[in-house]
Amino acid sequence: MKQHPLCTDCEPPVTPLELPVPRAVKQEWAALETRRRFLGRSGKVLGWAALAGLFGDMGLRIYAEGADAKSPSPALNNALGLPHFAPKAKRAIYLFMSGGPPQMDLFDYKPNLAAQFNEDMPDSIRGNQQLTGMTSGQAHFPVAPSHWPFGQHGQTGTWVSSLLPYSARMVDDLTIIKTTNTDAINHEPAIMLMNTGNMNAGKPCLGAWLAYGLGSMNDNLPTFIVLQTKTNPKENNQPVSSRLWSSGFLSSEFAGVGLRSGADPVLYLADPAGVDHDVRRKMLDTVEEINRQTLAEVGDPETNARISQYEMAFRMQSSVPELIDLSKEPPSTWDLYGPEAKQPGTFAYNCLLARRMAERGVRFTQIYKRGWDVHDNVVGMLPVLCQETDHGAYALVTDLKRRGLLDDTLVIWAGEFGRTVYSQGGLSRDNYGRDHHPRCFTTWMAGGGVRPGITYGETDEYSYNVVKDPVHVRDFNATILHCLGIDHSKFSYKFQGLDQKLTTPVPANVVLGLLA
Amino acid sequence: MIAAHKLSVAIRSLRIRNLRAQWLWTLGLSVLFVLLPFVFRLDGRQHADWLQFLGRFHPSLVHLPIGMLVLLPFLEFGGTTRLGLREAAGFVLYLALATGVVTLVFGILLAYGSGVMGATVTRHMWGGIALLIELLVCVAARPAWISGQVQRVYPALLAASLLTLLWTGHQGGSLTYGSDYLTRFMPGPVKRFFPSASSASDAAYVGSVYMRSIHPILDAKCVVCHGASKEQGGLRLDFYDLLITGGKDGAVIAPRNPDHSLVLQRVTLSPTDKHFMPAEGRTPLTADEIAILRAWILADASPTATSIPGIATTAESTELPLQPVGDYSNLMNEIHQMQRSEGAKLVAVSATPSDGLILRTIDIASKFDDAELARFQRFAPFIVDAELGRTKVGDDCFDILSRFTNLRALHLEGTAVTGRALGKLSALSQLSYLNLSGTKVTSEALVPLKGMSNLRHVYLFDTPAQAASAATNSTLRSTQ
Repeated sequence: MKQHPLCTDCEPPVTPLELPVPRAVKQEWAALETRRRFLGRSGKVLGWAALAGLFGDMGLRIYAEGADAKSPSPALNNALGLPHFAPKAKRAIYLFMSGGPPQMDLFDYKPNLAAQFNEDMPDSIRGNQQLTGMTSGQAHFPVAPSHWPFGQHGQTGTWVSSLLPYSARMVDDLTIIKTTNTDAINHEPAIMLMNTGNMNAGKPCLGAWLAYGLGSMNDNLPTFIVLQTKTNPKENNQPVSSRLWSSGFLSSEFAGVGLRSGADPVLYLADPAGVDHDVRRKMLDTVEEINRQTLAEVGDPETNARISQYEMAFRMQSSVPELIDLSKEPPSTWDLYGPEAKQPGTFAYNCLLARRMAERGVRFTQIYKRGWDVHDNVVGMLPVLCQETDHGAYALVTDLKRRGLLDDTLVIWAGEFGRTVYSQGGLSRDNYGRDHHPRCFTTWMAGGGVRPGITYGETDEYSYNVVKDPVHVRDFNATILHCLGIDHSKFSYKFQGLDQKLTTPVPANVVLGLLA
Repeated sequence: MIAAHKLSVAIRSLRIRNLRAQWLWTLGLSVLFVLLPFVFRLDGRQHADWLQFLGRFHPSLVHLPIGMLVLLPFLEFGGTTRLGLREAAGFVLYLALATGVVTLVFGILLAYGSGVMGATVTRHMWGGIALLIELLVCVAARPAWISGQVQRVYPALLAASLLTLLWTGHQGGSLTYGSDYLTRFMPGPVKRFFPSASSASDAAYVGSVYMRSIHPILDAKCVVCHGASKEQGGLRLDFYDLLITGGKDGAVIAPRNPDHSLVLQRVTLSPTDKHFMPAEGRTPLTADEIAILRAWILADASPTATSIPGIATTAESTELPLQPVGDYSNLMNEIHQMQRSEGAKLVAVSATPSDGLILRTIDIASKFDDAELARFQRFAPFIVDAELGRTKVGDDCFDILSRFTNLRALHLEGTAVTGRALGKLSALSQLSYLNLSGTKVTSEALVPLKGMSNLRHVYLFDTPAQAASAATNSTLRSTQ
């Protein structure tokens, strides 16, 4: 066998049959390699391929598949037969609080904790839980009650921390879930699990699933857009990477399109100097022709994805400037969102963009806000974080509601996990820290499909364990899919021999108690 | 084998003795078969285990007589040229009869022992009995055919037996695999000839908690065995009245008393308990489903209640149940064309065609005017959601829209409509969502809409009407 010129290791290569493998296995390999077997199999494969081709081309397949749906012509629905049932929400906006907001400082009111200040949390509460390396060495787990007072708000009398004065105004529109829980205790696996239903990278995220399943409502904008909020360097920002909006094993055209958080959300959107729109069009047409030749030669579906992305980019040249042009927003917009919303990259600005995208038929918008990872100095940082996000979230929900968009838009607010009631590091009257906590954390939804004005689930008096009505991440995602008309258990994609789903492998349930 | 042989010998000797005696025997045995079901009356109760133990061999045993009966016409046909086959045919007929009798007895033991009942069970049983009687008559009529005295009777009888066999076998298959076993994966064009039977005796309860939450649970988890085709324990759960009536063990629902309701007791037993339901390894009810059932029973198990107090899952919904829009399959080609064209699209609300269509204009909103809208008139009754926001439609659109009789949601935000002709919408009884944000609609223009009881979501943000309604606190300015 010829050595590769770059290979410096001059030992003769080893053939598989020389490997230290049991003789029986080698014989099996040898048997697999006979010419008779090869020819026999090839013949069968050709036969089956021909048969499949015949049936496929005769168009029997769509009738066979559609027969189940009692549809006179199943092809009217998208090829997947989605939505499975009439959806309440046509689109969703996901406000992702990366880092893990402390639930007991925001929504999960635990008045009895004040009396237990600095007392050790009973071991029975923690059980045999494996903690993160950041607090597993702590000798004590002193209870740190929330530094801020809570008040009752809305007609529902929901308790909300004084840190969230704006959210407090809209509690009657929110579906607050106190018992969201996850399997992972560290950021990366937890944020992957939250977004893709799996701790390991490589699976499609919620937005990609929706783009794949429900398709676009607007030909000129991406189906799934990701907005990142400018980071505040004082905060403890955990990385947020594009694999969170990746399409995984789905075609890459379903991946989220990230808009930059600066003034220029899409780089090189304008035609370069000296290149007018017609020249650009001509260039794209030629590129497409070449790509189509490649597709014909190679047959890789990714080439198709590339072609459609070029076209999308071209259309975005006109649609995005219109999208981000806020000059025609009425004064009432700025009254609602506040002056911060005029600065590109702020959370409020992104919320305003999300509303504009909802109006323009973007199926799924995800806004990332980093910095919630308050391991120390909760008292110093939490007010900053709340001030950055509270106003925008309230403005978004309120704006959608007054414009009649909340009826068919689902808004979701969630982080990847919660935080511990016990203090990480030193606890004083003035300050404390909180470690990651997967067993319960508070999230909320609002709008199409969910029941407004309720608080779902109960946690124990340390906000540590779920006492009633747990909502696992998979149930959370199954419920979101349900609001968009998708039965999560039937929504799958065949990959690597499995019917891959957003909510597998452990069975998930739609949380009926959250539904309108 | 021995029994069959004895029988054949017995019948042979009978034939030699007296033809009349043979017919009497045939009649006597027939009467015996017909009486069997009256002796072992299927009352929906389970009986001794050994009955079921034997009975469970029925499904495998049944293939013996089936195989032989199917073989029979071939033997008889072959017998016209080869005498040996004809002789064999006689033997096979006796054997088929004998095994058939055993099968029938085992079948009745199975049904009687396991307490199963229902229309399909009854049909299957009488089919089996009819088949055996036909076979008996075949046996009696065959000698005359062999001897050439009577030409047509025996072949006709044999053909009738085979048809009966086919029908009875189908009933049995439906019992084992479910009645839609053959049709479920049938290609669409063929399937049209097999309309699925559906009953609507619960139609009066549309929109109730029972129909929204309870019926779907029972339908998914229980009706396979407690439904029209199979009434295990004499219990049917597919309609409210039958659910309340209960089965042979009495009522299964004790209103206001979930703990004494048999249906709840059975689904909450340990899965290893022999009384646990759903039986035979079918999917158990989820905790949520059990909670819903419990809440519903606690609240008097009413078929009409539209809300159950204190339970989030079944709380009052302000939404109307979706009205089916009817069949638009003959317009499919045009709809496809509309979808493919660059302009406005018709999109299905869901995989169920009768949920209707969405008229989506977002890609050409700046060019979509009243004339464009008029092109969609022929699809009018099937459009349930018209997304006309930021289009160029004007006040004339209401003339066209008034024909969209099934319209549920109408988006007119950011259009030039003034609401002058808004009253034309009052013909739309299903309309529940109307978005007029950012238009020039005044509160006077809204007056004609006051009578529309289903119209619950009207959005007037950024309109002259908004300010006015804020002042008068009009009920029409609604939110959620």
